[in-house]
Amino acid sequence: MRRSYSIILFFILFIWFAGIFANFFVKLDENLLYAIPFLKKNYSLVCHQDEHKLISFASTNTFVCARCTGIYLGLLFTSAIFLLFKTAKKMELKFLILASMPMISDVILHSLNFYPYSKTIAFTTGLLFGSVGFLYLYNGLNQLFIEIKR
Amino acid sequence: MIKKYISAIVCGFGAGVLQIVPLLKSFACCLFIPFAAFLSLLLDQRANKSIERITAKKAFTFGLLTGIYAALFGSVFEILITFITKHNDIIAAFPQMQKMIEGFPVSSDVKQDVLKLFQNIREDLITKGFSWLYTLTIFLNNFLVNSIFGIAGGLIGAQILNNKLNKRSDEN
Repeated sequence: MRRSYSIILFFILFIWFAGIFANFFVKLDENLLYAIPFLKKNYSLVCHQDEHKLISFASTNTFVCARCTGIYLGLLFTSAIFLLFKTAKKMELKFLILASMPMISDVILHSLNFYPYSKTIAFTTGLLFGSVGFLYLYNGLNQLFIEIKR
Repeated sequence: MIKKYISAIVCGFGAGVLQIVPLLKSFACCLFIPFAAFLSLLLDQRANKSIERITAKKAFTFGLLTGIYAALFGSVFEILITFITKHNDIIAAFPQMQKMIEGFPVSSDVKQDVLKLFQNIREDLITKGFSWLYTLTIFLNNFLVNSIFGIAGGLIGAQILNNKLNKRSDEN
């Protein structure tokens, strides 16, 4: 994939990830307050926004839960690495399965009340899944651009 | 044309409905739409008894269509339900939102403006069951987010399905 596409992809992910923290940016520009309810509604499409699962900092919450924040940070983090090191290796499915196992296990175990919900565990397992998930997304996009060029 | 993409319509419909059903909504997850896109590719493969590799172009198209149909059905149902019941998330969450907005360290003029804007939307929804701004927001949000997540799901899903095909052909 061309570097310019990688940069565009990184910026899309960056904007999406920054949007999660829009509540925190209101202090920088108060006009952002007009967008807050719309953004909250926007992110509700992709997250349950359960209040006790949101990341809180200085009495302000993120728009998505700890797990989703982890997933998006993972995607952003790996996309940043791909800006520096260009690789397009074919990925085995087992890596995606392995990376999703901790997240799925956490969802099942805390849903069955084996242990209480932990934002740290949710965030970490999401981060792992997002980081590995990006490799598949990147490969898919790479393949798409190759096919379009043909 | 419709027959060719019937699996995308079916999965898009399912995902769209899941996004608006009150109880299921609380389980909303960023993997709903990508999973629907993956499922649409799988259903298409099964329906056509295809053993060919799924191209990225096909994965992109199915993912995009699943996202678009999910957005279409989700938006239409949400607007329709709001119109009939004259009640929705915005109305239910208004006191909470009011509290949240008042908690921001910004000038009271801006706070009043924002609250007035949402008070108007809320009143329109309670009295008429319809608000132009709300409808526009729902459509824009749903189409943008669902399309992107659908494409991602389609592209990743195709690799999962192709991986299975590769394994099967290796075994044979």
